[in-house]
Amino acid sequence: MTPDPSRLDLLQGTLDLLILRALRADVMHGWAVSERIQQISQDVLQVNQGSLYPALHRLEHRGWIKAEWKISELGRRARFYSLTASGRKRLEIETANWSKLSGAIARVLRMA
Amino acid sequence: MCKDVLLRLRALFFRRRMDQELQEELQFHTEMQTRKNRRYETDLTEAKRQTRLQFGSVVSATEECREARGISSMEILARDLRLALRILIKSPGFAVVALLSLALGVGGNTAIFSVVNAVLIRPLPYAESQKLAGVSNSAVFSGQVINDWPLSLHMYAVYNQQARSFADFGVWTAGAAAVAGNGDPEEVATVTMTHGVLRALGVPPYLGRWFSGADEVQGAQKTVILSYKYWQQRFAGNGGVLGQLVLIDFVPYQVVGVMPRNFDFLNLDPAVFLAQTVASGAPGSEDSDYSGVAKLKPGVSLEQANQDIGRVLSIWGAENTEWRQTLEELQVKPNVHPLKRDVVGDVGAVLKILMGALLIVLLLVCANVGNLMQMRAHARRGEFAIRAALGASRGRIARQPVVESLALASLGGAAGLGLAYAAVRILVTHGPTALPRVREISMDSTSLLFALACSLLSGMLFGFIAFLKSGLTNGLQNARGASQSAEQLHGQNALVVTQVALALVLLVGAGLLVRSFIALSAVTPGFTHPEQIQTIRLFIPAAQIRERERAAQMQADILHQVTAIPGVTAAGFATALPLELEYHNGNPVSVEDKTAVGQIPPNRTIKSISPGYFGALGTRLIVGRDFAWSDLASPPRVAIVSENMARENWGDPPNALGKRIRIGTDDPWSVVVGVAENVCDDGVDQPPPTLVYFPGARRSVSFALRSSRAGTQGLLKEITAKIHAVDSGLPLTNVRTLSDLNRLAMERRSFVLVLLGIAAAMAVTLSIMGVYGVLAYAVAQRRREISIRVAVGAEPRTIKALFLRQALILTCFGGAIGLASARGVSTWMASLLFGVSPGDPLTYGVSSAVIFAAALAASYLPSRRAASMDPIEALRSD
Repeated sequence: MTPDPSRLDLLQGTLDLLILRALRADVMHGWAVSERIQQISQDVLQVNQGSLYPALHRLEHRGWIKAEWKISELGRRARFYSLTASGRKRLEIETANWSKLSGAIARVLRMA
Repeated sequence: MCKDVLLRLRALFFRRRMDQELQEELQFHTEMQTRKNRRYETDLTEAKRQTRLQFGSVVSATEECREARGISSMEILARDLRLALRILIKSPGFAVVALLSLALGVGGNTAIFSVVNAVLIRPLPYAESQKLAGVSNSAVFSGQVINDWPLSLHMYAVYNQQARSFADFGVWTAGAAAVAGNGDPEEVATVTMTHGVLRALGVPPYLGRWFSGADEVQGAQKTVILSYKYWQQRFAGNGGVLGQLVLIDFVPYQVVGVMPRNFDFLNLDPAVFLAQTVASGAPGSEDSDYSGVAKLKPGVSLEQANQDIGRVLSIWGAENTEWRQTLEELQVKPNVHPLKRDVVGDVGAVLKILMGALLIVLLLVCANVGNLMQMRAHARRGEFAIRAALGASRGRIARQPVVESLALASLGGAAGLGLAYAAVRILVTHGPTALPRVREISMDSTSLLFALACSLLSGMLFGFIAFLKSGLTNGLQNARGASQSAEQLHGQNALVVTQVALALVLLVGAGLLVRSFIALSAVTPGFTHPEQIQTIRLFIPAAQIRERERAAQMQADILHQVTAIPGVTAAGFATALPLELEYHNGNPVSVEDKTAVGQIPPNRTIKSISPGYFGALGTRLIVGRDFAWSDLASPPRVAIVSENMARENWGDPPNALGKRIRIGTDDPWSVVVGVAENVCDDGVDQPPPTLVYFPGARRSVSFALRSSRAGTQGLLKEITAKIHAVDSGLPLTNVRTLSDLNRLAMERRSFVLVLLGIAAAMAVTLSIMGVYGVLAYAVAQRRREISIRVAVGAEPRTIKALFLRQALILTCFGGAIGLASARGVSTWMASLLFGVSPGDPLTYGVSSAVIFAAALAASYLPSRRAASMDPIEALRSD
């Protein structure tokens, strides 16, 4: 599979933000998270599936999301993730930071 | 934090279950993705392939997940450690050599550090010890600065009144006294002190009280404080001893206190402390034999204290014109110094030499173990490459040698700790008895920390050496067949050069000491066969025998009695025997027609001796005669001088006969009747002092008996019986042979020699291993090159020469650096050397030859292996 130039690799750290955002309303398993991110971004953002799981485990370890085993749509056990209270707070902060950053970059690009 | 640890622990213990869950989770994902891919791909295999491509490496994702969960560091460490131990067990030769050398390196360093820590670093075991100062004077005697010129009692009185910088101040003097009552009379070591001394040290008594000002008043009840040991020994630890009277030198002293068990008075071990009485009013004769101890007032520096005492000293001098003159003539200045210097003395230099030597050994150990590890790393390049190909991260692979180093270092350090513990015990029991604070030497937490730091630092050091040279730094592409870069070779060569240099430094140090011992054994000390000279100190107190004549008669009787013992060939007594430094004294001696009027003549060592003393010691009379018993009783007064004294004053020994000398400037003259050979009175390693002998006795004398049975219990019993037949109340002390005394005097030097010898032997062994290792490695590395050379017709001889030359060049470099450093370092040892200069060419030559031969021997084997290499075999194997 040749890399599609219109798809963007994720910036370091942004994957965490996207995962938190994806989990804001729903409880879902890892594969669904990757699908959701691709859907929302209309396939522009390509989640490297290999790095999705380490990110999920990292967020869980920090206590921003929690995981439990549930029965999936395939009728098999799957690990479902959901946002915790501190994760919700974290999402707000990260979102604010991101808007600040992207706004600033947009300004620089316009001005320069 | 707590939660984090819990999670990590859970991760560590439930690793298997968590791993299973992770596998399940990832598998679920793959399945979902494959299902999705099936929508576009009809072929299942192709769909699965797409999934794998999209996912990337499952192994590294798994690894990253584990890391993300925080197990990583701990679990990986545990796993690496297990691997390291397995590898060590599988190569026992390497493990034993590495662990043994590490254990010796760390153990030796920790042991000596424990001593250094106890003696030099730890504060003195007194209250506020940083404020404690020793007080003496410095004076210039015939051009020589003497720093421990003692204080007089009157100086004490003036200092006590006038000094502004001391919170507490007192003076003390060490001596000996006979204790009677409660068993046999015995002579014990004493310290006589004014009340300020214990107050300054601030160690509260175990029982009773310290001395007070009232104890110092002349005519008051005399008081004594017992040491814990003596209280246990003589009074069976009976608390009722307080207030009791004890006869000390036949004078009743009241016991007012007992000091605690762990109390040491500076570096002395007296049995009793006596209160010094201080005369009030005008001082009589000035007996200057006192050392001062002071506690400085808060915020007062030593400098300020010295200024203050300088002022007080001039007040003292103003009282008496003679004193003022002395102050000016001898340029007397106060010398207030840290008390630690009085306690530790000059042993610091010795300990620093040993510590330095052992650190050198540890460095050599690190270099060697690093070298060994590096060679193993070379052999394991294949293993590393395979691990890298299987997905181990670069960091993980690079970490492995570090973990192995640390595992080695911890194991070696643990073994070293055991070794150090044993070594410290041996040092304390068999080390020099003159070692100060020996009771305080122990392995404490600081020693443990030191051992830990030692092992970890050396682990890091040799791990680093191994890592630098392992080629990992250059990436893993050279897993097969690549040859070494020039840089790596340089690093190794530098290592060999350093090892040879360090080993040479130690070898020269040990060699210089060996030379000193040879020079010492060649000295004619002025006495013969010291092992056959039995010595006994006898003291007849005035309180027991009032008249001097009767005491003298008793001593003569005893001498006659012991001479009659079968096997005793000669006997005599003197106020002090050679090497009995504690009884030595010096007095100015005037020589008729040589000493100008009004001039203070130089000090000579004075001895009062009995007839037969020279015979007992084996001191040769060069000219003239020995004393006779009649010389003791009646005039004319006579004297015998040592050869150097005779030569100094009259040129040739026979010229001395009939000349007249006297002590001081007022005593009656004595006629010189004999000249005796020089005696190394202050120790065999000291130049013989100028001696003047007078016939006669003092109340305290040392007997010397020559017998082949000297030192045996049988002889001692007979002597004791003879002495007690004359007077049953006389205590015997210092029962030993003259060679015991000699051994005591030589102890420190032999202690250093033994340890330095061991260090040097280790260093030479290690550098042989180092040279061998590096060369063997170079041969292995250049196998291909050698094969090609041999294939195109190089002679085995040339190949051998190639490697031998490399070894020789390195050794010469190392030797040159080693010689230069040894020359620099050996000047520090000057105080331990005797009859050999720190730059002694013979020692340097022989040491270099030893190193050279060792390096040559070490390089011979690898060179020969290179020469006998089969080119076909070698080329094929690569």
